[in-house]
Amino acid sequence: MPFNSIPAKDFINRERELAYLKLLTEVRDRAIADNILLQGPRGIGKTELLKQFYRTVFWEEKKVLPFYYSFQKATLKASYFAKDYLTRFVRQYLAYVKKNPSFIDSMGTPLVGLMPDFSSLRLDWLINLIEDFQSLLKDGDTYEQILAAISAPVTTARESGMPVIIMLDDFPMAAHLYETNQGDAPGLMSLFEGPMKTSICPHVLTGSPDGLLESIFADNAFRGKAERMFIKELPEDAAQTLFGSLCDKLGVRNDREASLSFVRLLEGNPLYIRNMAKAIWKMNKKEISEKDLWEGYGFEVSEGETAFYWSSVLGEFLADPGLLKVAVDLLMHMTKSGSRSNDFPRLSRVLGIPESSLRSAFDGLKMAGIVQGTGDAGPLRDGVLKDFIQSRYMRDTEGKSPERVRELIGAKYYPVRDAGASFAMTIPMVPDAELVVAKAFEQIGKNIRMDPEVVKQIQLALIESCINAFEHSGSYEKEVFIKVTTSRTRLEIVTESPGKFFDPEKAEEPDIEEKLHAENKRGWGLRLMKKIMDEVKVERMGDNTRVILIKNIASDEVLK
Amino acid sequence: MREMNFTVTSKTITDTAVLYPRGYLNNIAGESLVRECNAYIEKGIKKMVVNLGGIEFINSIGISLLLSVIERLNNCGGTLCLTNISTSYNETFEMLGLTKYMLVFKSEEEALKHLNAAGGK
Repeated sequence: MPFNSIPAKDFINRERELAYLKLLTEVRDRAIADNILLQGPRGIGKTELLKQFYRTVFWEEKKVLPFYYSFQKATLKASYFAKDYLTRFVRQYLAYVKKNPSFIDSMGTPLVGLMPDFSSLRLDWLINLIEDFQSLLKDGDTYEQILAAISAPVTTARESGMPVIIMLDDFPMAAHLYETNQGDAPGLMSLFEGPMKTSICPHVLTGSPDGLLESIFADNAFRGKAERMFIKELPEDAAQTLFGSLCDKLGVRNDREASLSFVRLLEGNPLYIRNMAKAIWKMNKKEISEKDLWEGYGFEVSEGETAFYWSSVLGEFLADPGLLKVAVDLLMHMTKSGSRSNDFPRLSRVLGIPESSLRSAFDGLKMAGIVQGTGDAGPLRDGVLKDFIQSRYMRDTEGKSPERVRELIGAKYYPVRDAGASFAMTIPMVPDAELVVAKAFEQIGKNIRMDPEVVKQIQLALIESCINAFEHSGSYEKEVFIKVTTSRTRLEIVTESPGKFFDPEKAEEPDIEEKLHAENKRGWGLRLMKKIMDEVKVERMGDNTRVILIKNIASDEVLK
Repeated sequence: MREMNFTVTSKTITDTAVLYPRGYLNNIAGESLVRECNAYIEKGIKKMVVNLGGIEFINSIGISLLLSVIERLNNCGGTLCLTNISTSYNETFEMLGLTKYMLVFKSEEEALKHLNAAGGK
């Protein structure tokens, strides 16, 4: 519903984009292209921008008609789509002419029931259009029905002399229009090309970058007639302002300092910011501490509106619960391993999931725009989506209770109650002494509730750091000093020993292919430390070499 | 102390050797694993399954010795399968690019089934 949008005053930091879209209403001597494609990640505000634009045109323009249509999976069957598209167009036309939005909402009344209104407005051409469509319905020719529906705004623009701005939300879904069975009519989307080439019907489309859209817009006929507008995330100050103003409105007292890192995690995504503000309000607390924010976040991404949003997106493209679980396992694996490959035979072996299921799940994720359509899957970049996937994985694959999942997600960002702790020890340079440190770290990991798998990886880096100290020591003092410092957001491991300095920047990067055939297959220590930790620093302290390993806990795996 | 930290046992199932290293896979342990694998290769066995379920720790030298096993098997047209590997070690092997040169399976049974189906190689 185009009027189902947030109040204009809360629609912040999109003024420039809105002003640019308004140029579309100046049909003659238009300075911009006839069609605009709004692109950007899910939740970034493309739909909201489109609705705000609709509302502006609806109330402010006297001779430009806005038409908004949102593609839905339920109406992708061509015959349903044609009827739905035409009905919504006719209702929005009537609502605009009468300046009464209630006509848009009353979808229950059949079109023929609106005939008296059309007669009183002397819209004979519209009556003819509807009657022609009714005949096509009787004939059962879906191709003609869809063509008639899509052409209705163009006919209206010509008959009424009023340009129609056609706003198609989630346009890539049009690629999945079908006649009888899904995939049986891949070319139906191309029917939109006709209206798009008509300058009296400028189009505004939303969609994520997609090969299909690219190919349409690469068509010679569209050159100069279409342009892309990328909707970016809100800058940090605007995101903070939006979150603050929503909290104020909901009567939640929020400490700006405490919410800084919280809002930063939401990456300027207006949908997340709104959902999180509501989630915090639902906690029913007058004053919100930093810990409350993260607890609210844990709830929101595992059970709240954000979880519902992503569940709906996934459910739309992966309706089979078994396949959905495969998709979650696959995404979890990609996220954890940083894997960028779609090597399905290998993934099948590692995950113990049939290759065919992995391929189907991947296709669904591709359609949902969660993974790239090319051969490169890439890890998830959206931190909130990553946490949602992790919560689903913990619930569905690991069988954890909702309470536990919520707690674990929240604890990921607010792990320990105390300010931090330091543990120090000195070990002799004797074989396997590094295991003593690794074992000690296992307990430190438990103390700070770190995911055992993350602990295991850090143990690997720690072992390497110790071995490095043993091997580079040229001193008679055969001891290595180790200090582990933990805080709420950071883990720091210092290994200090007398010995030769080595510059990590100058160290050669081992190449697996070369190493495989080389006589000396060693030299993986630094690479391992760098891959596992967020930062590896090497400093010279007098005669000692100090290696500092840093892991940012907030961006890491859930702490348990 | 070193002996206590690592052991490797093995068995053959038809034309496949299954090895069970246990403990800390470092230089000494890695070398004994390489020796064990080489002994099988010399006997003409080219399919190896290394069950890492008993590995508590691993270091970069152990990893480089695994590369030696891969190289030796590659040279004679053999296959190395790793099984029962912890998530974190699997991720580490992926990060380093090792998984391109060996097959990783969840369980020993799955690896044996695969090798059996693959036939000669």
